[in-house]
Amino acid sequence: MVAADFAAAIPLLPFVSFLIAMLGGYFAPRLLPKGGAIPGILALGGSLLLSLWVLADVAGGTYTNEELYAWVVGQDTFSLHFGMLLDPLSALMLVIVSLVAFLVFVHSLGYMNDEGETGLPRYYAGLSLFSFSMLAFVLADNLLMSFVFFELVGLCSWLLIGFWFREDAPASAAKKAFLVTRFGDYFFLVGVVGVLVTFGTANFAGAEAFPTLAEEAIDAGESFAGFGAQTWVTVLGLLVLGGVIGKSAQFPLHTWLPDAMEGPTPVSALIHAATMVAAGVYLVARMYGFYALSPTALSIIALVGGFTALFAATMGLVKREIKQVLAYSTVSQYGYIMLGLGAGGYVAGVFHLTTHAFFKALLFLGAGSVIIAMHHNENMWDMGGLREKMPVTYYTFLAGSLALAGIVPFAGFWSKDEVLYEALVHGLGGSPILLVAYAFGLVAVFFTGFYTFRMVLLTFHGEPRTETAEDPHPVRWNVKFPLVVLGILATVAGLINMVPVQELTGLRVEFLHEWLAVGVEGVTAEHYGTLLHDAAGYTAAELGSLVPALVSLGIALAGAGLAWMLYAGPDPQEHTARLGAIQRLLVHNYYQDEYQVWLATGVTLPLSRVADKFDQGVVDGVVNGVSSASLFSGRRVRRVQSGLVTNYALLLTLSLVALLLFLGLYGGWL
Amino acid sequence: MIPTSYYVLLATAVFCIGVFGVLTRRNALMFLVSVELMLNGANINLVAFSQLHGNLTGQTFGLFTLALAAAEVAVGLGIIMVLARNFEDVDVTEAVTMRW
Repeated sequence: MVAADFAAAIPLLPFVSFLIAMLGGYFAPRLLPKGGAIPGILALGGSLLLSLWVLADVAGGTYTNEELYAWVVGQDTFSLHFGMLLDPLSALMLVIVSLVAFLVFVHSLGYMNDEGETGLPRYYAGLSLFSFSMLAFVLADNLLMSFVFFELVGLCSWLLIGFWFREDAPASAAKKAFLVTRFGDYFFLVGVVGVLVTFGTANFAGAEAFPTLAEEAIDAGESFAGFGAQTWVTVLGLLVLGGVIGKSAQFPLHTWLPDAMEGPTPVSALIHAATMVAAGVYLVARMYGFYALSPTALSIIALVGGFTALFAATMGLVKREIKQVLAYSTVSQYGYIMLGLGAGGYVAGVFHLTTHAFFKALLFLGAGSVIIAMHHNENMWDMGGLREKMPVTYYTFLAGSLALAGIVPFAGFWSKDEVLYEALVHGLGGSPILLVAYAFGLVAVFFTGFYTFRMVLLTFHGEPRTETAEDPHPVRWNVKFPLVVLGILATVAGLINMVPVQELTGLRVEFLHEWLAVGVEGVTAEHYGTLLHDAAGYTAAELGSLVPALVSLGIALAGAGLAWMLYAGPDPQEHTARLGAIQRLLVHNYYQDEYQVWLATGVTLPLSRVADKFDQGVVDGVVNGVSSASLFSGRRVRRVQSGLVTNYALLLTLSLVALLLFLGLYGGWL
Repeated sequence: MIPTSYYVLLATAVFCIGVFGVLTRRNALMFLVSVELMLNGANINLVAFSQLHGNLTGQTFGLFTLALAAAEVAVGLGIIMVLARNFEDVDVTEAVTMRW
């Protein structure tokens, strides 16, 4: 008995709970325990156990790469199928997703059920469908299947952000999230088609896998569509990257994520922090063998990531709502993951993805706890002094914040440090553009430390600034339990990969490096290392990891210390107001929304008006002209049909005479 | 012996009278009569050439034509009956409803 036989049940269990919640909510809402939460918790619990089993099997060296169901069988051409790929990367991700989803379900009991929300079956059906899509996305063994579930994930996001659809803001935020990510997914779809047409397969791994075929094509010096193989790989990689940038909220398609905070907080934790946004970067990691072939695509990933990390961090500095700060920190942290992947740090990127999933889910659930306590007031300036009243939330939130800020020894320190280290060594090793991305990332560390501790201090420290903060609403076990689990993970998850410690003491503690180094042939970190060196020309400079780690730790501490100096008092002031014009710019998010709306109404709309004119005038004009010409001539010609049989006979006779005369004159009878 | 061309001329004349009748008359019964003339014009041709070539195939077909003409008249009269019943007249210029 091996876990792979049951792996298909990992996504299917939440699908069953989705059906139960949806059908039960529709036909027999009274029979549905806790509005669908119990089936969801059971299903996700099952998925979590199965995922752990898969993880254990993969650790034992059993990898799976099989086709499950071909839904289009091609004759003399490629087939389209669903399948699953179980290797160290997907096994790790399965555990993360099912664990976080499980905890979010538990937390929802406190956030939704205890708060007396209505429409719970719809909520739990959405969460279950989301877990199903995300788990299936993680299992996917080919790019097209990834795309299918990528889209489903987007759909669920729309459903859940717009959960309170009776109000204007959530409905419009849901629409925005859907449209912005769809814009990126458009490029992704073109990329998928391009990959299928070029390589005839979209498999990630195995003998016939598109990264392998691309590698062979580059070695053989082939060319596609008039481009050299490497250029074409870059083009396809960038097209797929469009979907990644949309889903992982990278600049310039990040604008949907802060708005998505209109959804219920557990949804923000599950979708917009730990998993859906992770789908984008997971895709890059999944097809890393493809990106590793193209130095251009890699540097674009690194630059976009580094820039987003800094850009989003600055916006997080001035936000007043706790969830807005977390939203921008999410965008920023995904920037780091992209930076890591783009800089050739496959393991570093996956590492940060892992730790971030834990500490960001923790922070969002902690924020959810605070929001329950504050009677759904999210403004940090109305909080203060919550430390004594809710110690469990405070200490777990603090653990998450320390991880986010990158303070040793919490999880975020190890992973963020490794991301930056990879960017630095590869930058020094001959890819100077990575140094720019590294600089972005390093500056962002300071801002991260600052906004994180501004948030912690404003929320939990000082004196209560409102009556609600003096007497907060208590939270129950179902809120505290997930916080404790994630709090422990956010503290210790970094221990799976302590590169600086290894260098210092010589102990073998690079567990994640060893974990990802093996697996299905062609999709291992080892293979990627070779590819990066040979195809992308990345070389690592000789540099110890200790000094860069100390530098980034020092910068993070400086940011946190500045926040401490400014906000630690019992009655903190709004110091960011002193920034003047810069503060206005930051509060308005660099006018990103405004310019995107302007792009839509000021550029796209007139353009489409012109296109509409052309369509109505020229295209339809030609068609209408043809039809009215035939109508007109038909109206004239039909007069021949008088209905008088005599006329017909006359016509017949005259025609016969004319024919005879014609044949006689030209046929030579006369 | 009368030359064959005379028969042919006679046949043409009879046929053309028939055509003229079809084209100018308005009475459906006169149509039938005219069609009968045209058929007989053709019959004269058949019989004349049968005599010229000295075999009986032409005459045989002449008999077929007579039978055909009888059948045609039967059908034609039926149509004229229906015409009269629907339009209370046998004027072909009245029956013009089967057009656009």
